[in-house]
Amino acid sequence: MNEGIQRLLGEGPKAINLGLEEFAQALEAQGAKVVHVDWSPPPPEAEELQDLLEKLL
Amino acid sequence: MFRAVQIQKRRYFDSMFLMRVTQHLQAEPGVKEAAVVMGTPANVQILLNLGFPAADLAEVGPDDLVIAVAAEDEVAAGKALAKVEEFLSGRREGAIQAPKTLAQALARLPEANIAVISLPGHHAGREAHKALDAGLNVFLFSSNVPLEEETALKKKAREKGLLLMGPDCGTAIIAGIGLGFANVVRRGPIGLIAASGTGAQEFTSLIHRAGAGISHAIGTGSRDFSDKVGGLTALAALEALETDPATEVLVLLGKPPGENTLQRLAERLRHAQKPVIACFLGVISEAIKKKWPGKLVSLIDDAVAAALSTLGLPVPEFLRPENLEELAERERQKLTPRQRFVRGIFSGGTFCYQAQLFFHTARVPFKSNAPLLPEHELPNPFQSEGHTLLDMGDEFFTQGRLHPMIDPTLRRERILKEAEDPEVSVLLLDFVLGYNASPDPVGNLLPAIRAAQEKKRKNGEHLVVVASVCGTEADPQDYKKQVEKLEEAGVLVFSTQAQAVRFVLTLLGGGR
Repeated sequence: MNEGIQRLLGEGPKAINLGLEEFAQALEAQGAKVVHVDWSPPPPEAEELQDLLEKLL
Repeated sequence: MFRAVQIQKRRYFDSMFLMRVTQHLQAEPGVKEAAVVMGTPANVQILLNLGFPAADLAEVGPDDLVIAVAAEDEVAAGKALAKVEEFLSGRREGAIQAPKTLAQALARLPEANIAVISLPGHHAGREAHKALDAGLNVFLFSSNVPLEEETALKKKAREKGLLLMGPDCGTAIIAGIGLGFANVVRRGPIGLIAASGTGAQEFTSLIHRAGAGISHAIGTGSRDFSDKVGGLTALAALEALETDPATEVLVLLGKPPGENTLQRLAERLRHAQKPVIACFLGVISEAIKKKWPGKLVSLIDDAVAAALSTLGLPVPEFLRPENLEELAERERQKLTPRQRFVRGIFSGGTFCYQAQLFFHTARVPFKSNAPLLPEHELPNPFQSEGHTLLDMGDEFFTQGRLHPMIDPTLRRERILKEAEDPEVSVLLLDFVLGYNASPDPVGNLLPAIRAAQEKKRKNGEHLVVVASVCGTEADPQDYKKQVEKLEEAGVLVFSTQAQAVRFVLTLLGGGR
């Protein structure tokens, strides 16, 4: 039922980090695997399109 | 004075990084005032207050980077602006190879099992949806995610058998690894499900200092126990920890749940597979007590003691209420007759809340900017009245700023302001250690504490400074070292926050 959760609890976090880069550094310092995303805001048209798609689907 | 504003459309940097860039910029020659911030309404307001022209800021949106410099002349301002780009692109150079999207990052780390999201609220929900769709659990640190989006995310997580911690989730510890603001604690048999961030930090730290350990501490986000969300994450976490072989006893921690959520949780706990202790920080009605199927407490210290006892472990000395009267009387003697009021200046929301609970139970009137009950509301958060207990991490204070666990500026200023008041006798403070908190929380405030003590001395008064430190010796800041620094400065340090508040109430009790 909750395999995804059990995998997280069993293996410990292997993380993708979006936002504060310090969070990625702290995870690394604790020996966890982490990839930091160099994130940028999507152009507004893309956001609108995606919201529309989500509604349609 | 020459003022320059530069706007870079749709360029994002995180707030902690921008705070450092701002500090560099403020130190540049000829610069009087500077800010490098994302163009949120709160930040724009701050820039307007600093005297930057409204016309220059009219077109700014929350996804735009704003660089604002006030320098002694145009040349100095120009040099400073050029320097900013150096700082910013220095970061970018390292980031050239970095993935730009969640999908690209997943290609880099296909075994990933969680997304840690601390983006601005208006983007965080969308990325959390993408993460769930990709089969990832989510730790959603961001606040300002709309309630409907929270519920939609949690329902999606449930359908997919994934965990959505947050939004507004400050801390979690999964298999010994801390996410967000987390303390370094030993692993052990106690599983925590918490809707309150600093509450979870105090609980896990005290468990560690008591010699026991934590299997997992799952954050639910601050609104999870409300009837609008209905405890969706708490229920998912409960199910997960019940089947988790590392967990022997569970603790549920947060403000008292809404009526319907309470019902749901109580119903679920009637057939719980493991012992569950509930710690509802708040005024617990008799009706709740009657309905609740298991052990129910309302203080963090009591939850720690109950968890230890359930496991057959001894409750350590530092959790037992001490006889504080002697120490209180000694301090009382030093105060002038006018000195009667306590000012609590907290960085942890739960600590402010727990202090209010103590005051309320002891029937000592007080005010707060994050009031326990409507009657406790402090009309102007900048102006204390009588006994005042302040949550400096409240949105009112953090608009356009980092949390006081990282940026000590506002707490420093408030300590100095309170020392000016001849009716103030006690400063009650908290210090939160751990990953992502300030590297030296005590060191940040010590100069202000010393200045406040000195100010009082000059006025022929005494200042009682009472503190608690939330953390462990394994934290990067080291609990012991932080406590020593406080004690050297004459601060009375108590082993838990509850004990610190108890002492303050004892001090007030002696005929005052």
